[in-house]
This record gives sequence, C-alpha cells and structure tokens, in this order.
Amino acid sequence: MLELLPQQLANGLALGSTYALVAMGLTLIFGVLLIPNFAHGEFYMLGAFITYALVASGLNFWLAMAAAVVLVTGIGWIVDRVVFQPIGSAPGHSAAQGSGLSMMISALAGSIILQQVATIIWGTEARTIPAPMTGVIQTPYFTITALQLTVIGTLTAAWIAVWLVLHRSRLGLAIRATSQNRDAALLMGISMTQVRLATFGIGAALGAVAGALLGATFPIYPSMGVTPVLKAFVVLVIGGIGSLPGAIAGGLVLGMVEVMVAGYGASQFQDIGTFVILVAVLLIRPQGLFGRAQVER
Amino acid sequence: MEKLRSGRATCLILGLILGLGTLPAGAGRASAADEIVIGEIHPITGPATFYGLPESRGIQLAADRINKAGGVTLGGKSYQIRIATEDDQASPTTGVAALRKLVSADVRFIIGPLASGVAPALKPIIERNDKLTQLIDGTIADDMTNGKNIFRNQATASGYNVAVVKLFSARKYKSVAMMTDRFHAGFMNSQKTLAADLKGLGVTTASEDFYKLGDTDFSATLTNLRGRNVDVLLIRGYPAEGALITKQARQLGFSGQVVWEMVSPPSTVLKNIPAAEMEGVFNCIPLTTEDYVKLGDEKAKALDQAYRGRFNEGPGELTALSYDAVYIFKAAFEKAGSLDNAAVNKAMAALKVADIPELVTRYTPQPDGRLFASDGQVDLRGEVSVWRGEGWEPASLKD
Repeated sequence: MLELLPQQLANGLALGSTYALVAMGLTLIFGVLLIPNFAHGEFYMLGAFITYALVASGLNFWLAMAAAVVLVTGIGWIVDRVVFQPIGSAPGHSAAQGSGLSMMISALAGSIILQQVATIIWGTEARTIPAPMTGVIQTPYFTITALQLTVIGTLTAAWIAVWLVLHRSRLGLAIRATSQNRDAALLMGISMTQVRLATFGIGAALGAVAGALLGATFPIYPSMGVTPVLKAFVVLVIGGIGSLPGAIAGGLVLGMVEVMVAGYGASQFQDIGTFVILVAVLLIRPQGLFGRAQVER
Repeated sequence: MEKLRSGRATCLILGLILGLGTLPAGAGRASAADEIVIGEIHPITGPATFYGLPESRGIQLAADRINKAGGVTLGGKSYQIRIATEDDQASPTTGVAALRKLVSADVRFIIGPLASGVAPALKPIIERNDKLTQLIDGTIADDMTNGKNIFRNQATASGYNVAVVKLFSARKYKSVAMMTDRFHAGFMNSQKTLAADLKGLGVTTASEDFYKLGDTDFSATLTNLRGRNVDVLLIRGYPAEGALITKQARQLGFSGQVVWEMVSPPSTVLKNIPAAEMEGVFNCIPLTTEDYVKLGDEKAKALDQAYRGRFNEGPGELTALSYDAVYIFKAAFEKAGSLDNAAVNKAMAALKVADIPELVTRYTPQPDGRLFASDGQVDLRGEVSVWRGEGWEPASLKD
C-alpha cells in the first residue's frame, strides 16, 4: 500500500485545496465582521449554477466564471444588507451580540432562502458544468487532472490576491484594523460601509470562484453548499478563525486526513476522521494552527 | 357580544380553511358514488423528482386511459378512477404525513412510494390498517411486502442482482470491487448475498467500500483499486455519484470494466458525465420503459407516444411500472367485484399475469401463472444494458 502513498498525497492535496478555496471567503467574513455566514455555501452554489447556466447558453467557461463572480459579489452585498445588517444594528445588539445566535439564525434563514430560490430556478436534479479542460497529468508517482491543478493554482492566486489587498492597500489596512478592534477602527474614522462592502464582496467572490471551478468537477444541486460550508467551518477551527494562511493550512490538513483515513482505513470512516481532527485541535490547540489565543476580560 | 360572534365566525372560517387544507386535492369528492380514488405517494418535488414525477404522470396517464375506455366495471356499474397525488419529497416524515392525509380523506388504495427510505416508514402503518391496500412501484428494498395488503410490482435489489450474476457468469470476470451507497437499504441488505453468489462463480470480492449521496471525493478508494488490479468496479446507488465515481476512476487510471446497478435516466447521466466516458459501461437493472421501446414493444411504444403527446418529453425509466400499477388495481377491483379492501387484497393475490393484457412490463409469472408470489412480490429480474452513444441499450453478453 505504501507504493500508493504519493498518489494518496496528491489526492489529499487536491481535496484539501477544494476545502481551502471554500474556507477562504468564509474566514474573511467571519474574521472581520464576526458573522458565521452559513449562506457562504450558497455563494458557492450560486457561483456554480450561474456558471453552469452561462456555459449552457454558449458562453466560454472562463467568461462565465467571471460573470458569476460579479453577480455573486452583488448577491453577497444584498445578503449582507438584507440578512445581516438589520440584525447587527438592531436595538440592544452590540456588534459582539449581533454576531451570536441571532446572526447564526439569520445566516441559516438566508441560506435556506437562497437554496429555495435556486430550486425554483434550476430544479433539484444534479448536474455538472462541462469541464473547461479534461487532461490528466501522469507522473511516475502520481496522477492528477488538469482541473485539480487549476484548483490548486487558483487557490494560490486567490491567497496572493487577497494578501495583496489586505497588506498593500488602504482598504486592506481598514479591513485589518476592523478585524483587530472594530470600535478603535470606528474612532479612527474608518468607514464601516466600505469595510463591509469589501469584505462581503471579496468573500462572496471567493465562494463563486470555488463554486464555478468545483462545479466542473462535482455534481451541482441547490443544497450542494451545505456540506462544504460545514467542512469549511471545521477548516476554520483547525486553521484558526480569521486567518487566511490558517484556512489554507486547515483545508490541506483536512483533505490529507480524509484521504488517509479512507485510503488506509475504511471509506466509511472518512467523515469521522474530519470530526476527530476537529475535536483533537479543540483539545490541544483551541485557537487553531494559526490563530492567536485571546484573553477574555 | 358582537366581538364574540365575530370571533366565533373567524374561528369557524379558520377551522374550515384548515380542515380543507388537510385534504388532498379533490378529496372532497372522494365519496362520490361513481368514482374510485387511488392515492399515489411519490417525490414530486425534492431530490428524487426525476424519478417521481414521471411515475406520477404514468399513473395519471393510465387512469385517463382507463376512464376513457369506460372506467372500472363493478357489478355492471362503471366507476371512474380519480388519482389523489401526494408529494413525499423522498422523505420518510413527509411520506408518513402524506399517507395520513390520504387515510383521513378515506383513500384506501395506494400506489407508491419510490424511495427506499419512505417505504419502511409507511409499512407498519399500512400493515396495521385493514382499510388500506398498497402497491409499491418504486423502492427495491427487500422485505417491504406482506402478500396481505402490501404488494409490489417493482423488482427487489435481489432481482437486480440476478443481472449482475448473469453478467459476471457470461464475461468470466475474476474479481470485483464494490462501491455501494450505504443509505440505500435495498443495496445494503442484498450486498452479502450478492458477494456470496459471485463467490460461487469464483469471483473474488477485492473490496467493499461505501459512500453516501452528496459525497464528491472517491480518490482514496479508487487509488486503492488501482493497486488491486480488479476486473470490475461495481457501483450500486444513484446516477450522480455513479457518474462521478466513473469519471474519477478513469482519471486515476482504472482500466477495468465499470458496471452500474442503478436506475439512471440517460438525461440525468449526461448532465453529470460526457457520453464518451460512459461508452461501454454496463447497467444491471430490469428493463426500463425506454428499453421496451427500443425493443419495439408495441405497448411500450404506445405509452411512450401518449406520454410525449401529453407531457412534451419522454417517459421516465419507472413510468411503465407506475402505469402498470393502475391497471393492476383495475384488474383487482374487477376480479373482487367490490371495493372492500379484504376482497381487493384477495383478488390482487390471485391475479394472473394473463389477466392484465395492458401490462407494459414483462413480469415473469409465478409457476401457477400468478403475478404476485405469496409474499406479494412480482418476479421482475434485472437485465444487462450497455451504454452506447447517448443512452442505454440491451446488451448482448456474447460480445
């Protein structure tokens, strides 16, 4: 079985990259705005379906994906405005309170509404976006598809792009300041509207990119975002909530663990592996691999 | 006082609205003297719509044809069939609610359900109610019938396995890796027997792996397959996962034979995998509506034509079973000469295949010619189909 290890590692890398790609947008929104955005799975789903619809109508895959990213970014802003902002600004809700139970319920409501809308438009039958590339790269040690390589490349590019925005622009500075101390950021004159728009926009766009690319690999259907978003929350805990490198490392760790459990254990234990590692991280390093421990006063 | 009266009136109206709301569409006329209401429970919405809706439409089509031809004749009097449709969304809880709704509307004859998760939830309720007769046209899970008031004109998973064994025997395959949907009761319950039957042919089961609906990554399992060099990858479940496993297996270098054991409409398959990647894949299920049409069966062609004429698309793979179910009920009513459930059950158990010339599906008669065995199950065996071009076609195993 050891001779298959390089292939299993490649499988784990490919699977982990898909988790990381979904988790990146989620961690950004959660890290900056403290919103447990369960509707992120629906940004992913809408990215896939919009790309599918545009490709089916004859548009080139990459153009369709770009259009889906723009549309889902807009949907992300609408979701924030309609679903989250009213809760956050409701009387009796501080920012912290607003990110608690009411935000979670609101996010679930938003998620269900988006799923139902997609069901009405596209129905429930599973389908797959015609893949923009079909090649398989074979090495002496492992095989990987061109699309899997594209996902890994996109993950790297997305991480670099988000890092550049966060660390090399005034907007990024504002986002990071808000993430560290929202009240202090407000006192410094940072516009919360701009920060929210940027954070939700980038988060939703990352979800749409993930949906478009993974929809060319996996079947798409209206509830397709539920499992990935749950896995993405696991990734957040493993990597450290709010940490972009943590999202990537967490995704890769999760992918590797799942593949190793299925490959060297039993396939039915694949999901159990996910939650065993979650519990292990919570016990050993509750702040996650890249998170910082915070002291509650 | 005025307020009290208006309050009572509001309550009365609300009560009426709620009361009416719990009745199935049109059930208000359920007791009309000249009609027989047959309830049907299928997933009209939800994840299994692509199976359930064509079944429901097949039932409507059969009822309309029977009604146009004069209806059901009992004691010299003609009755029209009316279908009360309930949507179970392939969910056990919704299915039970649907059944209760039909029962409360005094519907006593039920066709369905489709889903293997719903049927076991309905079974204890129906078994205890001697005012209900059920004819299952969907689920293939074993032990769903009792031959008393629950019958089935669909195959069992064991019936599907007949075709798998036939294929392995004809092609002399030596080893198999099975991947099974672990929430599919029919496949899970029959897996042990299938493995034993294959072992009897000298086939080694190299691995048994399990997945669930919605799983997307099978790479670890499929990588191990490559190391085992098996002849056949047998996939038992639903078509979206079937397509994904097939694609991933090929990408990871699996060059053996892929065999499916699942109802998989070509339209659904093609939404998930290019036709070229399906070429040569075998499927082991009983003949479907489309297969009968391809075989030139006149009754199937007529059904296909009528279905297309009315719904502007082709019938589903299970449409013929649902269509047959209405004719089976008609024959049982007429044989019983009554709508009393005990009499209908007895007549149903005694029906012979030859009593129902309208049947599209080719059921194998019991040794005495009856349609149902004593446990209420028809003998419907899987056949081997192969994917060619854009769809399935009956396979010649002598290739």
